[in-house]
Amino acid sequence: MERVITANWHVEKAYTLSVYQQHGGFKSLKKVFGMERGAVVPELIKSNLRGRGGAGFPVGAKWSFLPKGTDVPKYLVVNADEGEPGTFKDRFIMERDPHRLMEGCIIAGFTLGLKAAYIYVRGELVLATRRMEAAIAELYAAGLLGKNIQGSGLDFDIYVHRGAGAYICGEETALIESLEGKTGQPRLKPPYPAVVGVFGCPTVVNNVESIACVPLVIERGAEWWAAQGSEKNGGPKIVQISGTVKRPGTYEVPNGISLRDVVFSDLYGGGPLDGRTIRAVIPGGTSCPVLRADQLDVKHDFDALKEKPFETMAGTSGVIVMDETVCVVRIAARIARFYHHESCGQCTPCREGTGWVSKILDRIEAGGAKRAEVDQLLDIVNNIRGNTICPFGDAVGMSIGAYLRQFPEEFIAHVEQGRCTYPAW
Amino acid sequence: MPTLTINGKQVTVPAGTPIIRAAAQVGVNIPHFCYHPTLSTPGNCRMCLVEASDARGLAASCYHKCTEGAVVNTETARVKAARQAVLEFILVNHPVDCPICDQAGECKLQDYYMTHDHKPSRVTTAKNSKSKAKPIGPHVVFDGERCILCTRCIRFCDEITGTSELTTEQRGDHTEITTFPGRELDNAYSMCVTDLCPVGALTTRDFRFKTRVWLLSSTDSLCTGCSRGCNIHMEHHEGEVKRYRPRLNPEVNEYWMCDEGRLSYQHHNLGRTTAIRLRDQREVQWPRAARQTAEALTAAVAKANGQVAMLTSPQLSCESLLAAREFASTVLGNATVYVGGNPSGGNDAFLITSDKNPNRAGVVQVFGPAILANTAYKLLEEMEQGRVQALYLMRGELPFDTAGRARFAAALSRVALVVYQGPHGLDLEERAHIFLPSATHAEQDGTYVNETGYAQAAYAAVPAMGQALADWDVLSRIARAAEMPLSFDSFDALHATLAATIAAE
Repeated sequence: MERVITANWHVEKAYTLSVYQQHGGFKSLKKVFGMERGAVVPELIKSNLRGRGGAGFPVGAKWSFLPKGTDVPKYLVVNADEGEPGTFKDRFIMERDPHRLMEGCIIAGFTLGLKAAYIYVRGELVLATRRMEAAIAELYAAGLLGKNIQGSGLDFDIYVHRGAGAYICGEETALIESLEGKTGQPRLKPPYPAVVGVFGCPTVVNNVESIACVPLVIERGAEWWAAQGSEKNGGPKIVQISGTVKRPGTYEVPNGISLRDVVFSDLYGGGPLDGRTIRAVIPGGTSCPVLRADQLDVKHDFDALKEKPFETMAGTSGVIVMDETVCVVRIAARIARFYHHESCGQCTPCREGTGWVSKILDRIEAGGAKRAEVDQLLDIVNNIRGNTICPFGDAVGMSIGAYLRQFPEEFIAHVEQGRCTYPAW
Repeated sequence: MPTLTINGKQVTVPAGTPIIRAAAQVGVNIPHFCYHPTLSTPGNCRMCLVEASDARGLAASCYHKCTEGAVVNTETARVKAARQAVLEFILVNHPVDCPICDQAGECKLQDYYMTHDHKPSRVTTAKNSKSKAKPIGPHVVFDGERCILCTRCIRFCDEITGTSELTTEQRGDHTEITTFPGRELDNAYSMCVTDLCPVGALTTRDFRFKTRVWLLSSTDSLCTGCSRGCNIHMEHHEGEVKRYRPRLNPEVNEYWMCDEGRLSYQHHNLGRTTAIRLRDQREVQWPRAARQTAEALTAAVAKANGQVAMLTSPQLSCESLLAAREFASTVLGNATVYVGGNPSGGNDAFLITSDKNPNRAGVVQVFGPAILANTAYKLLEEMEQGRVQALYLMRGELPFDTAGRARFAAALSRVALVVYQGPHGLDLEERAHIFLPSATHAEQDGTYVNETGYAQAAYAAVPAMGQALADWDVLSRIARAAEMPLSFDSFDALHATLAATIAAE
């Protein structure tokens, strides 16, 4: 299919302004400058562009929540803290097509009357940071950032801020705290960032891919964008496939494509390795509940995956595939250890629960646990879920809970045999 | 002013009130660790989760604002299960070392475990190790394993003292409270964090391992360290004052008191002189002591030709001062009254005042404002010039530096009769001809008027030490022996007289 979001990824030096412009860059911005300020948000709403950071909140609606007619400065914060295990799409946008992100930022700035955009980039993404900083320098030199951009009357700046390596800083309010120089711990909500965001000012927080899609929605038109996906899930999107498939990688797919196609199509995952059988698939990063191989006939979009019997999420579209050689208990234990390591430590259930869950899972995996501990585990993760300040606790509860729900026999086998029967990594 | 229903009871509260406060108004107590009415609300302990009709999932009642028509339930099965879960989570890494923990007996975790959980532990995994018995400042010890990370202490230092010594380090269940590098928890109110700490993570170095708290009795009293008059729980065991803890008074000290004031409880126990000493140095009981003192005073006053002085003190209660006033005019034959008391010291913009005496306003109430002109320095000059023949000293605190005290002590030798009444001998006891031990404010009832004119009661907590008696009682016994009995014969009568006097004047 036609590449839209990833069109420039294989164009040489597309990260420079001149190449980006040769390939149609900044046409959307020019178009927006010619439009009524108020016309962009309805266009985004019509396009059904959903946030690509994991929660799938409609971008247009989010933009419309920003208070209008206030004197306080308003900001865009781009969440580029791509940290969800299994997710590797934003880094390519930033490394290979940074100007598209910048164009999206400037469009947001013009549309919403923003003062500046802060791109909070994951600290490990050094090349992405350098490319973005170079892109921003080019834009200032070209008069596309700074005072009175292209005679539009818009004064707008973009800053790149590097994170220091905390997964929780991908949560929007923790990100804002970190950006303000504080410990990256999520805030209590309400107020939401649209009312009290960064530096106490109204702020819209969007994922890199979401913002990078904005110029494309303007360019192609809302109807076209909405037609690319399934109902209420507009546009193409980027899936990332990792694990035991023939063709792991990053692919542009229409929203709502069947998960089976993502995994098995020769265009994308290419199916299991020779002689292997797929057993489990995580549809959107490790926070999403795992699916069994017989549950792949589902549209990969924000709504269909939520339905029973799947009860999972599209998340960041980071699809992780596991075959029969993979011990799901070990996977659960490894994910739990990740959560234990990354829990910010602010609220009790998550702080204490993640460590507890991780230790129990390690015992089960090592074969030293009793049957009662397996039953307890589900109880414990359910006690974390829904009782915490931020969605981190829900992610722990849902993802770990799903391994217990989907593969109970594996856990029981570990307990009964007193060991893990899978080969060591 | 939204009206809502909490556990079936209707309550109307100002907009913006969190559920936990509205609940308290209708007598519904919601368990909590991190919430404190004077501090910001982090919502981190998750103990106060309740069901609210306007919330998705359970609402943190410390943070969730009351809305019109909301229906709140704090005792449903779901809420109870969430509380149990939170308590269980807290106990996953808690050492449960209650037998050696100073907080045991006044620990919210213990209390809530008994009322809201009370189940055997399911924890099969090893507990994390953290800092133990780590002094984090001159007055406070920290135990990281007991800490439940409610962050009250951090918020206290950020928001009340503004000194910001504390923060958290590490992440997840390795998180620990700590001081910033190179700093310690050293501010004038540092021990308040031990009151705020709901568990035994922060305890005072002073009280550490002294007494099990369930043995303590508590009496409402005041701190006498300065003219703020902070309200305290005076806590004592077997007749000994063990510690002060601040007692809520929104008009005076809110929930707080300074470290210096808190540690001033020690003066009830240390440096006390509790035996009567007459000129002949022999052991003596009160009847004889009163008689001999009366005789000596009567004789000296008769010879003194009006050169009789009495030094009172803003350390004394209004009742003691009123008794002194009457005593000075009768037994001492219209003696000139002077005012002593501690020298003034440093103050701050919060609670600590520069007047290090609790009752200067009371002195003015009892003797009138002109009394303040009769300073201890004036008395000293009179003594040095030989114009004082008999002197009755009430309390030995003097507004002098060391050199000034030495000068005063030396001048006492020029006075024919010095009677010294006080709980501490200080350095004046040996210079006095007669020493009469009196009670500290822990040992007698009294009324004190603070700097802002707020009259407050302090009640006797412990029996007077040794031969010490209440100040009024000492004076009353001498007066009776001198056959000039004072106009009251009990504290209650004296207190009634005080009330009448102040009302009349």
